[in-house]
Amino acid sequence: MLPFIDEILRYDSLSIVGLEKNTGKTECLKYVLNRLPVESRRIAVTSIGIDGETVDQVTRTQKPEIVLREGMYFATSEMHYGQRRLVSELYDVSDENTSLGRVVTAKALTGGKILLSGPSSAASLRRWMADMRRLNIDLVIIDGALSRMSSASPAVSQSMILATGAAYSANINTLVSKTAHVVNLVNLDLTSDDNISRLEPVDKGLWAIDSEGRMRGLDALTSLSRDIQFEGMGDCKTLYVAGALVDGFLEKVRKNKDLKQVELVVRDFTKIFVTPQQLSLFVKGGGRVSVLHKSKLIAVTVNPTSPSGYVLDSDMLCDRLSEAIGLPVYDLLKNDNLQ
Amino acid sequence: MIDQLELQSGYARRWLLDTEMMTRAEDIVVCYDALRHFVEFVERVDKIHIDTLLFKLQGLKDIRTTIRNLAGKQVLDDIELFEVKHLAILAGDVAKLLKQHDLDSVVAIPPLDQVINVLDPDGMKIATFYIYDSYCEQLKQLRSQMRQHPDQQDDLILQADALEDSVRADLSERLRPFATAIEQAQLALARTDVLMAKAMQMRAMGLTFPELSLDGMCRYEGIFHPQVLAAVTSHGRKYQHVDIAYGLQPTLITGANMGGKTVVLKTLTLCQLLFQFGFGIPAAQARIDVKDEIYFCIGDEQSVEKGLSSFAAEMKNIDAVIKASRMNKKLLALIDEPARTTNPTEGAALVSALLRVLDGKDMSLVMTTHYDIEPGKAHCLRVKGFENGEMDYRLVEVRDGEVPHEALNIAQNLGIDTEWIETARAMLATQ
Repeated sequence: MLPFIDEILRYDSLSIVGLEKNTGKTECLKYVLNRLPVESRRIAVTSIGIDGETVDQVTRTQKPEIVLREGMYFATSEMHYGQRRLVSELYDVSDENTSLGRVVTAKALTGGKILLSGPSSAASLRRWMADMRRLNIDLVIIDGALSRMSSASPAVSQSMILATGAAYSANINTLVSKTAHVVNLVNLDLTSDDNISRLEPVDKGLWAIDSEGRMRGLDALTSLSRDIQFEGMGDCKTLYVAGALVDGFLEKVRKNKDLKQVELVVRDFTKIFVTPQQLSLFVKGGGRVSVLHKSKLIAVTVNPTSPSGYVLDSDMLCDRLSEAIGLPVYDLLKNDNLQ
Repeated sequence: MIDQLELQSGYARRWLLDTEMMTRAEDIVVCYDALRHFVEFVERVDKIHIDTLLFKLQGLKDIRTTIRNLAGKQVLDDIELFEVKHLAILAGDVAKLLKQHDLDSVVAIPPLDQVINVLDPDGMKIATFYIYDSYCEQLKQLRSQMRQHPDQQDDLILQADALEDSVRADLSERLRPFATAIEQAQLALARTDVLMAKAMQMRAMGLTFPELSLDGMCRYEGIFHPQVLAAVTSHGRKYQHVDIAYGLQPTLITGANMGGKTVVLKTLTLCQLLFQFGFGIPAAQARIDVKDEIYFCIGDEQSVEKGLSSFAAEMKNIDAVIKASRMNKKLLALIDEPARTTNPTEGAALVSALLRVLDGKDMSLVMTTHYDIEPGKAHCLRVKGFENGEMDYRLVEVRDGEVPHEALNIAQNLGIDTEWIETARAMLATQ
């Protein structure tokens, strides 16, 4: 058993996030599902997979099927439930309607294949996770794509595995630095407990918070706004961006004399769309970026083969990446063959 | 008020919104009688019993489509069969709780034990479902083969699918006779949810049970508008409750600007609607008459989409009241400052004429106005008005409809431009 399986079991939830299609996210999920001790743990799997899903819905091409083992719980849409290739017992039907019908939760009574397509909004994903706790599930696994099209963020899980690979970039240097940037974002610190309880319910707008904890809305709805005014920010210690954080905004904050030591809070790493350069300039200037939700990054997996057929050197890629991010990196296909 | 009901299920909300207003006194009496039992329950028992019932009701889902499919001779799929089983078990659980608290005579939930038996062949009594092995011996064998030979799974699943389909057809056939009972159970659960929410709301907002009036008189003591009350008290100010009564002769309310006349009309409209939907009434005491139709006409709604000016929109609304008054229906019409946007000469004439046209109809009319008009038989009320720098919102009876001339004083109090106010005062003095 590879070490990260043990580590997964220390948390109540895991998301597997692919940085691009064909970076081996599904392989990673299959790998994890095959190795978890299903006899001793109650495990539930779902997908917030939007990655390629629009294509699926238009072309009706099949998404990869997952093989579940007997005893595993899963959530999928009504449509995919109807196409299941296993015997399963229904536990719940949600009120939420997705484009593929309602989300149903069931338990596999035999092993077999299933297409996963679960909750699609942040609220419904959180609701589903709470439902799973009521069913005494020990570990929830979320097959999560990084996408701007889904409001459901994989960052609600306690732990995370990132899947990267040649599909993300065929140049090993670029691949390493792009992946390292994402890893940096995933590893951003949590903000203070006070900030978390204060900001968690706020899902819109830009806010300035002074040292007394008073919140003041800025005159712009998103950080994309061109004319954001920072007047009288002398006492502002914290800025909160409820939506996306972009380069232009970060630069404006960095160049404002009153905001030298500011803490910039975002919801989670999926909301950050800034270049590594801007981020590092901001941090060097004394600023800090923190998040409301953070997952513990357990491992990074690589798929050295790109869909166009280009293959990177697996060992070199694993070493270079591991060195850059200070975390174990695995090529699961290669490891699989070794066993 | 519906938004502030703490309903447990989305289905109960939909059911409530689809309900028609009650226009028969008997229905309203029955509805309040049931609510009285629930209020008594909420006050009597420990919170844990209330929470248990509310938690159960959260499980109520809208399965009307499934019930329609069942009644319509279709074969239900696994998800639909699950929904039916879930509802049947929920209905049984809630029925047991209601019986435990002597509420089973208030809301009757039809027993669905036979439905549960069909869908729970192993007697597990839990709300999960699949095509159980015990439905079909052959299916059971196929599935055990599946577990032993995962490599042949695809072929075995095809065979199992056919068997499962025939089980589903059989189950659907056996459930079909209960379609009506299932539908009734779903409605009864929604009703329980609504009654619980109304009972909790009565306690939380300090609402009262109304008395049924049979003589056309409506009488409120200490009436208040919950939203305005909440807004006023949140600003740390005191809300003034108002007493008001009206019957089948017109009631004319006059009074200073900012005297709360419009709020009174809104509150009366709200109370009448709450009454005919069986909610608690925001008043210390209320005696209310049942009406067939309720009209609330507020002058400042423009209908841009229909291309109507505010005057035209208002005239159309009041026109609807006059037409309805000739249809031999019991009406309540609440009209806020009719014809206010036109010139005072014609405006006053329109208002006086409206009083005369509606006179003798089987209706209650409550109208506010700033015009000096001949009240005729109307019962006249006036907002007490500005006293010692404070607004007294209470209503007092006056013998005629003479309007108070306080506009300039109030404007002055608001800090409006002195030159403007003094010029107006001087012009009045020379007239």
